[in-house]
Amino acid sequence: MNPRTRKALEFVLDNLVWFMLLFVLVVFSIFVPNYFQLGIFANIIEASSVLGVMSIGLALVIIAGHMDLSVESVAALSAMAVGILFCSSGIGMGVQLHPEWLMVPVSLLLALAVGGLIGAFNGYLVVRVKMSAFIITLASYIWVRGLVLVVSGGRSAQDLAPAIRWFGIQRLVGLPLTAWIAVGCFVVFSLIMAKTPFGRHLVMIGGNETATFRAGIRVNRNLIIAFVLAGAIAGLAGWLLAIRTSGATANLGVGLLFNAFAAVVIGGVSLKGGVGTLPGVYAGVLLLSAINTAINLMGLPANFTQVIHGLLVLAAVLLDAFKQTIRQRLA
Amino acid sequence: MKRILLAVFGILALAFATLTPAFAQSKGIVYYIVPTLLDEFQTGSVSALELFLKQTGYEMKTLNADNKTDAQQSQMNDVIALKPAAIILAAVDFNALKPSIEAARAAGIPVVEFDRQITSTLSDFTSVAGTVEIGYVAADQAEKLLKAKNGSVKGKVLQVLGDPGDPYTLDIQKGFEEKMKAFPDVKIISLPAMQWEASNAGTIVADQMLANPDIDLIFSHAAHLSVAAVASLEAAGKKPGDVMLMSSNGAPVGLDLIRKGWLNVEVEQPLYAQAAAVAMFMDKIAKKEEIKPGEYDVLGLKSTVTKEAWGPNIKIPGAAISKENVDNPAFWGNQKPPTDTVKPVE
Repeated sequence: MNPRTRKALEFVLDNLVWFMLLFVLVVFSIFVPNYFQLGIFANIIEASSVLGVMSIGLALVIIAGHMDLSVESVAALSAMAVGILFCSSGIGMGVQLHPEWLMVPVSLLLALAVGGLIGAFNGYLVVRVKMSAFIITLASYIWVRGLVLVVSGGRSAQDLAPAIRWFGIQRLVGLPLTAWIAVGCFVVFSLIMAKTPFGRHLVMIGGNETATFRAGIRVNRNLIIAFVLAGAIAGLAGWLLAIRTSGATANLGVGLLFNAFAAVVIGGVSLKGGVGTLPGVYAGVLLLSAINTAINLMGLPANFTQVIHGLLVLAAVLLDAFKQTIRQRLA
Repeated sequence: MKRILLAVFGILALAFATLTPAFAQSKGIVYYIVPTLLDEFQTGSVSALELFLKQTGYEMKTLNADNKTDAQQSQMNDVIALKPAAIILAAVDFNALKPSIEAARAAGIPVVEFDRQITSTLSDFTSVAGTVEIGYVAADQAEKLLKAKNGSVKGKVLQVLGDPGDPYTLDIQKGFEEKMKAFPDVKIISLPAMQWEASNAGTIVADQMLANPDIDLIFSHAAHLSVAAVASLEAAGKKPGDVMLMSSNGAPVGLDLIRKGWLNVEVEQPLYAQAAAVAMFMDKIAKKEEIKPGEYDVLGLKSTVTKEAWGPNIKIPGAAISKENVDNPAFWGNQKPPTDTVKPVE
């Protein structure tokens, strides 16, 4: 094999999920009525913004060789906290700040703080107390959702303050600002993972924690930061969710966790840790969103979505095994 | 190790601190097995039943099944062992609870069906607005709205269902589509919002408004789904009145949307009356006395008790709420529980 062919093949393997996305978009554009239009593509990006942001935090922890099952509930709690304070209907307290734009940073900081605190709690128990991340974050997934129910009493907060809701309505180049926030998050965290020592250390920790520790890298500190970041990013996802639905309900975000896992796996992140990139995760998120949109337009029963998601995850795992085989042959 | 033990004891202490000892009142304890608490109607039903049963001398305890049929079956088995005065059941799955109902009744515990009618076995009392009937009322309203807009009953309706595994939403769909069959010029697009999650409904509306910009009416099976639908319409640059909206259950958020001009109609489930009816008949249910068919006044609503194959059944008509009557305090969405005390039926 000549070097050019090898290089081309490696490029395809590294970006396989993007080619899958392109293939799916072309197929749907041809066969699904009304699919091929700019508005629908904008919807795909917009609908994927919450899931996308949540997947970033989840991917960070998984790349570092751990697990965070609490992100869905954390997003719901953050959304509910924002909703209770800044919504004017239902259980919303309708808190007003002057000038009005001040509500944006305050609500965002609140969401990030709620998420960051729970992330710190998870990180402390996993890293310092040496408990299983799976069990600790599973417990958080349950108790945090319970907390949503406790603080809301099962009721909704609606009619988010216009200053905050503005991000869901205002468009830039045809996309709502919420979608641009998600894209911005992917760019920033992709750069952090690829270009900073922290990002590289996370990948190393996920690959071999003991060897990384022996190399003098502060493993515990980096892992706790990863959990705090995952929580805070889930908080940001909650803030976006509250904007998107103009409030919060007790069951907001239910089912997002498994979609986030699906996106992360489809995006090429190994559940064993140490492997994966955030651009790949974003492609995975867009792929799921593209399929959901096609199902909406075709009017298929929603159960099909779950079947297709499951098959996609299976296909991603098989493709990953196939990629490894080809790479071994190339080596 | 010390730290772990301290944390464990701390958590356990916190858990026990939230448990308060129960003191049975003179007439006994009634268990209410609620399908979920992630829903305003269900949360409201707990408060209403508790209030009215207290007025008739019963203490109520609630168990939440988290929308899981198996959890509800286990709860029924546990409650049977406690021998309460009665069990009030709002089933997750209308038919899967049949063996549990039969087991409770065999143990001498009366079972009341609340809000979700179970026709496959005998119960001691059923209090419903009727989910299929909600679909009928919604169809009547859709007929009026489409006629007013298009001159005759024609156009496109987007029906946003709840979770496709929930019989409640399937029954509303059945009632709605059954009645709408009479109008062949109405095209109904039905899509489910998985797990009743609001942002799923928002995505459906955003996609469909692009694929079918000529949608006349959006009918969501719960008010909180309408909120997300409105958010999507707003993001698409729509104003109140551009697309007609309708939803069912009568939650506070739905009433707010009517006041703001977004929602045309909310089909109410008469939560207060449904709960009051249970409290009114609880003495007869607990004592296993006969409940006579006929007309009864339940919080000012004329309601009919009939003897059905599944036992005595009270059906309380659901109302259509619009701009004209939205402030009526009788609607549970206005969060003003009745001040009149419920009296047991002699």
